[in-house]
Amino acid sequence: MSETLTHGEWNRAVQEGELLGQHCEECDHTQGTPKAACPYCGSTDLETVELPTEGEVYTETTINVPPEGIDERGYQVAVVQVGDARVMGRLVDQEIDIGDRVVLSGFDEDDQGNATPRFEAQ
Amino acid sequence: MARAAVVGADMTEFGVHDRSLQELFGEAALGAFADAGVEPSAVDAFYFGNAMGGQTENDTHLGPKLASHVGIAGVPVQRFEDACATSANAFKNAVEAVEAGIHDVVLVGGVERCTPETGKDTAEMTRIFASASHRQYEQPTGLTFPGVFALFTKRHMHEYGTTEEQLAEVAVKNHGNGALNPNAHFGKETTVEEALEGPVVADPFRLMDCCPFSDGASAVVVVSDDAADSYDEPVDVGGVGHATDVVPICDKETPHVTQAARDAASQAYDQAGTSADEMDFAEVHDCFTGAEILASEAIGFVEDGQGGAAAEEGVTARDGERPINPSGGLKAKGHPIGATGTGQIVELAEHLRGDAGERQIEGAERAVAHNLGGDAATTVVTVMEARE
Ligand SMILES: [Zn+2]
Repeated sequence: MSETLTHGEWNRAVQEGELLGQHCEECDHTQGTPKAACPYCGSTDLETVELPTEGEVYTETTINVPPEGIDERGYQVAVVQVGDARVMGRLVDQEIDIGDRVVLSGFDEDDQGNATPRFEAQ
Repeated sequence: MARAAVVGADMTEFGVHDRSLQELFGEAALGAFADAGVEPSAVDAFYFGNAMGGQTENDTHLGPKLASHVGIAGVPVQRFEDACATSANAFKNAVEAVEAGIHDVVLVGGVERCTPETGKDTAEMTRIFASASHRQYEQPTGLTFPGVFALFTKRHMHEYGTTEEQLAEVAVKNHGNGALNPNAHFGKETTVEEALEGPVVADPFRLMDCCPFSDGASAVVVVSDDAADSYDEPVDVGGVGHATDVVPICDKETPHVTQAARDAASQAYDQAGTSADEMDFAEVHDCFTGAEILASEAIGFVEDGQGGAAAEEGVTARDGERPINPSGGLKAKGHPIGATGTGQIVELAEHLRGDAGERQIEGAERAVAHNLGGDAATTVVTVMEARE
C-alpha cells in the first residue's frame, strides 16, 4: 500500500501556499481532499499530487447569514476547479462568477486551526 | 408484492412548540396507534429518528425515554441519526425488519425541536445544522446549509439557465399548498414579487427560498404485507431505496445532479416494479427552493434541466401533470429535522387513503417520497401504493 495523505499534511500545505490532492492509480480519478481509499473505485493505490494553484470557479455563493463563530457577513464560498480536481475555499474579491479564473492567494482558518484555501481573481 | 404496509400514521403540527421532546413525540405516536387501531402492547419494536437532540437540548439517549413515554418500554429500540434523512432511514430499517420476519408491528417515527424554544438562536442553530457538512474540508470556509444548496443551485442555473423567478415559483407553489394543510408551519400564501424582495441568505436564496426552523414529530405503524389485511386502510410500501454520494462537495463528480437521489429513486422504483411515470405525486426534500428543482429531476418527474421551467409552468402544481409537495413541502409544511422523513410518509398515506382534505391529489394511487440528508450525501426514496 502506498502513502496516504493526511488532513494535517493537506492543512499545512494550504498554509504554505500549496494544494495537495490524490490521484488514483487504478481509475485515474483525482480528488481535492485526502481519503484512505479512492471514493470512486475503492483502490488504496493513491498517489499524493500537487494540484495547480490556479483554476476556474465551478460554483460559488455569498453567505449573508453566518454560523455562530463567524462575525463577518457577505463572504464568498466557492468550489474551484484546479486541474483535474476541485477544492472548496473562500474568494477574497466579491462578485467573482462561475467560470472566472482565480489564483490561490492565502488561506483562512477556523478556531481549531483547520485551514481553507483563499482564492482571488487572476 | 408489497415489502410492508403502513397501517397507522400521524404527526403533530410542524411549527413552534414549547413542549418537551417526549410530549411532542407522544402526540404523534399515540395518534398513529389510534389510527392503526393497535394498543401499545402490540408493538414489538421501535425505530426512531432524532438528529440533533444532543447538540440542541443536551438529550442523547432518547430511544428508551420515548418508548417509556408511549407505553412500549421493553421493546428493542434503535435510534437513527442521519442528518435530515434521519427518520426516512429509520423507516427503511423498519420495513426491512418487518419484511425479514424479525418484527410484526413496528412503531417508526421522529422528533426534533429547532426553533428558539430550544434556547438556541439563529447563529447557533446555523452552526449546528452546518455540522452535517464536512468538518475539515467544508466547515472551515464558513459554509452553511443554505450555502450548500446554493452551490448546487448556482451550477444548475449556470448550466440550464434556471432563474431566480423560477426558484420563487417553487416557494409560491409550496406556500399555496401549505395554506391548505392544517399541520403546516406556514399557512399563508406568498407571491413571486414578495419572494424576490426578501433578504438574501446565501445567493441565489432569499429568505423565502429557505425552509423554516421547525419543531415537530411524526410517526407511523409498519406491519408485514401478510398482516396488513387485518387492519383498516393499509397503504403498501412498494420499495425503499437508499444511497449515499461522495463527501465533501468538491469531490462529487457532478454536484447538482444529486447522484444519491438518482440511485435511491431507481432502487425504489425497481423494488416496486414501477417507474416515475406511474407516480401520481411526490413529496420531495425542498429544504431550499433549488433543492426541489434538483429533486424533481433526480426522481424522474421532469427532464434534467427542466426543473425550474416545470415549476414556472405549473407542471409540479397540485393540479399540474406532475404534482410535487402537496403538503407544502419542507418550505411551508416545515422541517423539524428528525421528523421530516416519516412526516413525508404520513402525507403519502393520507393522499393514498383519500384523506388529505382540501389538498388531496384526486384519485392518487401511487406516490414517492424523497428525503435527503447532509450535503446531498444521503438520500432515501420510498414508493407507496394504495392497497387494492
Ligand atoms: Zn479510483
